[in-house]
Amino acid sequence: MTGVKVKYLLGNIDNPNSADIEEYEKAGGYQALGKALSMESAMVIEEVKKSGLRGRGGAGFPTGMKWMFADRDPKFPKYIVCNADEGEPGTFKDRIILEKNPHVLIEGMAIAAHALKAEHGYIYLRGEYPAAKKVLETAINQAQRRGCLKFPLHIHQGAGAYICGEETALIDSLGGKRGQPRLKPPFPVSEGLFGKPTVVNNVETFANLPFIIKNGAEEYLKIGNPECPGNKLFPVSGHVERPGVFELPMGTTLREIIYEHAGGVKGGLALKAVIPGGISTPVLPPDKIDCPMDFVSVPKWGSMLGSGAVIVFAEGTCLVKVAWRSLKFFERESCGKCTPCREGTGWLRAILERIENGQGREGDIGLLEDVAGNIAGNTFCPLGDGAASVALNFIRHFRSEFEGHIKTDCRKMAVGP
Amino acid sequence: MVTLSINGRKVELEAPVTILEAARKNGIDIPTLCHHPALELWGGCRMCLVEVEKMPRLQTACTVRVADGMAVHTETPRVVAARKAILEFFLINHPLECPTCDKAGLCALQDLTVKYGAVAGRFEEGKRVFPEVVDDPVIVRNMKRCIMCTRCVRMCDGVQGASAIGVIDRGAGSHIEPFSGGRYNCEYCGNCLTVCPVGAVMSKLHRYTYRPWQMEKTVKTICSFCGVGCTLRLEVRDESIKRVSAEYGDGVNNGLLCGRGRFGYEYADSPERLKTPLIKRDGRLERATWDEALGYAAERLLEIKKSGGGAAIGGIAGGRTTNEEIYLFQKFLRAGLGTNNIDSIARLGLLPAQKILEGVFGQGAAANLISGIPHSEAVLVVASDPTKLNPVMGLEVRAAARAGRKVITIGHVDGLKRHRTHRLEAKTGPGQETLIMAGLLGELLKVKPLTGENPGLEDAIRQWEKTLPGPDEVEKAAGVAASLISATAADLKEVSTSSIIAGRELASSMDMRTNMLLLAALGYILNSRIFLISEHPNEQGLIEMGCSPDMLPGERPLEVSTFREKYEQAWGAGINPEAGLTLMEMIEQAGASIKALYVLGEDPAFNLPARGRVKEALGRLDFLVVQDIFMTETAAMADVVFPALCWSEKDGTYTNLEKRIQKLKKALVKEGIEDWRILAEIGKRAGLPARYRNVSDIFREIAQVSPIHAGLSFESIEEGGLLWPYKGKPLVYSATPYSAAQSSSVSTAAGGLYGPWAEAAWSGAPQAQNGLKLVLDKPLLHSDTLSTHSGALMDLMGGPEARLCPETGSKLGIADGDAVKVSTEQGHISLKARLESGLPEDALFISNNFRGAGAFELFGYQLEPESKTPVLTAQNLKVERL
Repeated sequence: MTGVKVKYLLGNIDNPNSADIEEYEKAGGYQALGKALSMESAMVIEEVKKSGLRGRGGAGFPTGMKWMFADRDPKFPKYIVCNADEGEPGTFKDRIILEKNPHVLIEGMAIAAHALKAEHGYIYLRGEYPAAKKVLETAINQAQRRGCLKFPLHIHQGAGAYICGEETALIDSLGGKRGQPRLKPPFPVSEGLFGKPTVVNNVETFANLPFIIKNGAEEYLKIGNPECPGNKLFPVSGHVERPGVFELPMGTTLREIIYEHAGGVKGGLALKAVIPGGISTPVLPPDKIDCPMDFVSVPKWGSMLGSGAVIVFAEGTCLVKVAWRSLKFFERESCGKCTPCREGTGWLRAILERIENGQGREGDIGLLEDVAGNIAGNTFCPLGDGAASVALNFIRHFRSEFEGHIKTDCRKMAVGP
Repeated sequence: MVTLSINGRKVELEAPVTILEAARKNGIDIPTLCHHPALELWGGCRMCLVEVEKMPRLQTACTVRVADGMAVHTETPRVVAARKAILEFFLINHPLECPTCDKAGLCALQDLTVKYGAVAGRFEEGKRVFPEVVDDPVIVRNMKRCIMCTRCVRMCDGVQGASAIGVIDRGAGSHIEPFSGGRYNCEYCGNCLTVCPVGAVMSKLHRYTYRPWQMEKTVKTICSFCGVGCTLRLEVRDESIKRVSAEYGDGVNNGLLCGRGRFGYEYADSPERLKTPLIKRDGRLERATWDEALGYAAERLLEIKKSGGGAAIGGIAGGRTTNEEIYLFQKFLRAGLGTNNIDSIARLGLLPAQKILEGVFGQGAAANLISGIPHSEAVLVVASDPTKLNPVMGLEVRAAARAGRKVITIGHVDGLKRHRTHRLEAKTGPGQETLIMAGLLGELLKVKPLTGENPGLEDAIRQWEKTLPGPDEVEKAAGVAASLISATAADLKEVSTSSIIAGRELASSMDMRTNMLLLAALGYILNSRIFLISEHPNEQGLIEMGCSPDMLPGERPLEVSTFREKYEQAWGAGINPEAGLTLMEMIEQAGASIKALYVLGEDPAFNLPARGRVKEALGRLDFLVVQDIFMTETAAMADVVFPALCWSEKDGTYTNLEKRIQKLKKALVKEGIEDWRILAEIGKRAGLPARYRNVSDIFREIAQVSPIHAGLSFESIEEGGLLWPYKGKPLVYSATPYSAAQSSSVSTAAGGLYGPWAEAAWSGAPQAQNGLKLVLDKPLLHSDTLSTHSGALMDLMGGPEARLCPETGSKLGIADGDAVKVSTEQGHISLKARLESGLPEDALFISNNFRGAGAFELFGYQLEPESKTPVLTAQNLKVERL
C-alpha cells in the first residue's frame, strides 16, 4: 500500500553534523523556503491544503485548513507557534528532529510564516529538553545570519506540564497565564496568543513542509495512504530488540514496525500487548497488529494513531502495573480545571494501586469501569479521556489478568522480561 | 431569531445565548457551580452537562451557545447520571463537615447533593487535606472544602482587578492562595466571599456564631460609607448584624462591595455608642432624660435667638444623615431659628464643584449613571482615586480598561496603576493637575474640531485657548513629557463618548474655578459624562435638601424671592433673605457673631483643617448642640449631646452621586431616637409644628415644597431608586433675567452664561512646590473616624501611618516602621512611617482617620475667595524620627 520510499525528516541524521546549516543546505535544505518565498502566500496555503498534510501532534487535523482559518481572520499580527512540548509517555519523535535536524523545523516555520504573514514565531519547547534548546539556539542563529529567517523566532521553555501540549493551554502558558486548556470557540486561529490569530503546529508537522513545497503536493500524496499521506515518525519503545525512532510512510503496519524495523519482540518472546500511539491511545492485543498506522486506519482497529509512539509489551509483563503507572502519570498531569479529571484520575490510580499491591477487592473492576466511564466524555479536554481510556481498554482486552490480580498477588505470578 | 427546543418545549430567542441562559430565561433550572453571570465563562465543574441531540458527548450548558434547531434535554437519565457522577467526584475530597461549616444551608454543593441524591461513598483512600488558614484578620481559607470552581480567582482577576489570588499547584493538589501567602495583600473587597459556592473562603467576622437559617431577617439597604450608594443585605440575628452581603443583580453595585461596605458594619454594635442624652453641667457631660435635654436645648437656642437674632446661630451637617433629616435640620434652623447659617461638609468640594459645572451645563450636569462608565470610549480620571474613595465606581473604570477603552489618569491615581493607557502624572507629586489639564486641553483643541453645538461655550473655550500652556511648558513645570500629552490628545481624537471622574482633590484648590472650567471644557470636547466623587453616602442629599447658606431645598437660590415665599408659606414662618455664613466662616465667627452651633452627625473639631483653631473657636461658643452616634471630639465639647440611631436602625433616603434617591431600611430595633425625630421634637419645642409620624410624612412635605422632588412619595421609591431628574423640574440657568413666569429658571451673574470663563483665564503655570509636601491620604479601608469603630477594619489597618516612598525615606533618614514626629505651624502628631514604593517623591501621605494623629492637626487652610472652600495648606512641614 505504500508507494514512494524517501526519508525527508531524518534522512541526514547519521551525519554527525546534521544540525549544521551547511550540511543541511548541502542536502538541499532551504531550497523549499526559497521556492515558497517566490510564491504568493495564498498559493503556499493552497499547496499545503492540496498535500493533505495532517497535524502530527496527535489529533490529525488537516494543516491546510487550520492555516486557511487563520489566514481568513483579519486581525494582525498573526503568530505561528511550534508545539515542541513533547510529553506523552513513549513519545520521543520530535526530540530527534529538534536535536538532529533543527533546520527542517526552522525551514518549515519560515515557510509557514510566509504563508500566514506571521510576524512572530515561537517554539514552545519541553522544559526537559535542554540539549534541544542549545541546538535550536545555534540553528536559529545560523539561519538568521544566512538570511533564511526574516522574522523573530523565539524559544520558550515549558515548566514541565504535560497539559501545556494541549494547544490552548500552550497558548495561555506562552502568554504568561496558568497553563490550562481554555474554552473553544474562540479557536486559536482567530483568538490565540495575545488574542491574535495563531497557528499552533507540531514539530513534525512543520518538518513536513519543506518536502511538500519543494516537491509539490502531488509528490507528497504519493507517499503513504492517499487519505493520510506523507511519512510519519514512529518512536518505538518497550520490549523490542531495536528501540528507536523510525521514519516510515503513513499506513505502515504495526507488525512491520515492530518486527521489521524494531527487530521484533525482545528475546523472541511472544507479544502480549501494544500501545500504538502513546499512552492515551487504547492498548491493542496481539491479534490487531496488522493495523496500518495512519489517522484513518487505526480507529477502525480500535485505537488511535496519536503521536505514533509504539509501546511494546512482551509476554509476562504485568499489565495492571502498566495501567497503574499510566494513571499515576495522568493523575500528576491533570491540570485541575475540570472535576472528573481532577478527582477521577487519582481515584483510578488508587484503585489500580491497591489491585497491583495485592489488596484488590471483589467489585474493583466494576468500580474502575464505572469511575472511568464517568470521566470519559465528561472532561474539559482530552487528557481525562486518555486516562479513562487506559483503564477501560486494559480491562477490555485483559480482564482476566485484572481478575487474577484480585484473586492472587501479582508478585507471586510470572515475572516479565 | 433562534428557535430551539429544551425538554421538548419550543424556545425562541433574539440572540444566540448559551444553553444555560436560554434555559433559565424559560424557567428551566440547570445546576451550576463554576458558572457565575458576572464572571468569565469557565466550563470547569461539569455540573451543567446536558444532552444535545446529534452531539455524541454531553455538553456544558454554561458555555455552549444555542443554534437554530437545537434540541436540548436537561434532565434525562444520562444527564442525571453524569451529574451524580460529578457530585461523587466532588465529594471524594470535599469534607463532610457540614455540621460545623458556616456555609451549611447556603452551600451550593450541599443543595445539589440533596437534589441529586447522596451517592454511597465508594472512595476509601482518604481525603485530601489542607490546613485551614486563619492568618488573615477577616478571611478564613479552608481549602479542603474548595471545589476549584475558581470563581474567586476570576472575580479577583476579572472584575475586581486586584489579581491578588491564584490557583497554586495542579490536579488534585490545586488550591487557591493569595500570592502574598497566608495573609491577603489585597483590597479586601471580599467579593471572593460572595462568589464562593461552598465554605472554602469565608468571613472571619461573627464566625461560628450563627447558622444561615437562624438569621431572623435579611434587609436590603444602602451602604453607609460613600456616595456610590451600594445595595447591601444586612443579615440580622438577635438585633445584631451578623453578615453583610450582596448578590449579583443588587443595586448600582450589581452585587459588588468594597472592604468598608462589607467588613465595616461592626461600628453599629460598638459598645462605645452613645445611649442617653447628655447635658453639660459644671463642665462635665452628665446623663439626662430626653425630655430634659430637648427642653434645655430648645430653651437655650431660643434665648440666643432672642438676644442675638437668628444670625447668631449656625448649623453644620454631615453626609451620613438622611434626606429627611437634613431637610428637617435646615427647616428647623431657617424657619424655627431664623438663620441661614447652614452648611455641611459638601462645602469641602462637592458643592462648589457641582455648582460650577451646573453653571456651565445646567442642573444635574454631574448626574450620570455609573453603569455607563465601561461603555465610554475613554475614561479620564483626574486627581482623585475612585478605586479608594468610591471603590465600586472605580471597578467600572477597571471594567472599561478591560473592555479595551482608553483610561487616562491625570495626577496620582494609584488604584488604576495596572489599568490605564496613559498616565499624566507630575514628577513633583500631586498638585499639578491644573497645569496638566490645561496642557491636554490645548493639545486636544489642536486635533479635535469643536462641533458648534454650543456656540457660547465654544467662544469661551476659543478665547481661552490662546492663553493655554503648551506641552513643553507643562513638561518643564510638572515633568510630564510633552510627547505624552500630545500622544494622549491624539489618542482621544476619535473619541465620541467618554467619562470624566474627579473629586475633592481638584475642588479643594485655590485654582478650583480654573480646574472645574478646564474639566467642563474637556468634558465638552470629549462629549463626557462627568462624575464627581462623593465621599459620604448622602453628600448629594446635603446639596439637594438645602443644607447650604444660599440655597433652599430643591437647590433653589435663596435670593429669589418667589422661591423664598413659597417656602415661607409652606413652613408658616419667615425666611431671612440674606445668605448665611459658610462652613469655615461659621467656625471663624464662633464666639463673635456666632454664639451657638447645632451640629448634626458631623465632627468639625476633628474633620476640619486647622484643628487647633477650630477647637478653640468651638470653645468660645455660648452653646453647642451635637447629634451623633459616638462621643466625637465635637460632642465632647458640647453643651447638649443627643444620641442618635445609626444607619441600620432607621428608615430614610440617601441620594448618591448619580443623584439617585435610594431607600435606607431599618434592619435593627435599637433603643434610641432617629435624628429626624430628635429634630422634629426640638423643633416642636421651638415653636415649629411637627406632624411627622414617620419618614414618609417628611418625604411628602419635601415633595410638596421642593420643585425637583415634586410628585414623589417615599412609597414610590422602589429597588433601584429614583433617578435624576426624578419627576420634578430641574433649575434652568438662562442668560435672560429671571422672571416670575419662568418659575424654574434663574439667570447667572452679570456677564452672561460664560462670564466665569474670562475670570478664570489662564494665568500661567503655577509654581511647582519644591521640597517635602504634605498630602491628605484617604485609605481604602477607612472613612472619617466612623470606620475606626469597626473591629475588622481596625484589624486590617489599625493605626495612623505616614506613607512615603523609600527614596524620600532615605533622604529623611527614615526607615519603614520608624516612629516619626510630623509637625507644621499648626501642630504636630506622632505616628509610624511606612515606606511604599510607587508613591511620588517628596510627598508625605497622612490620613485624617485616627484620633490623636489626624492629618488635620497639621493642615491649615486658606479660603477660596468665591466658594469659601477651605484649601489645605501646610507651612513649615518637618518630619523627625523619634
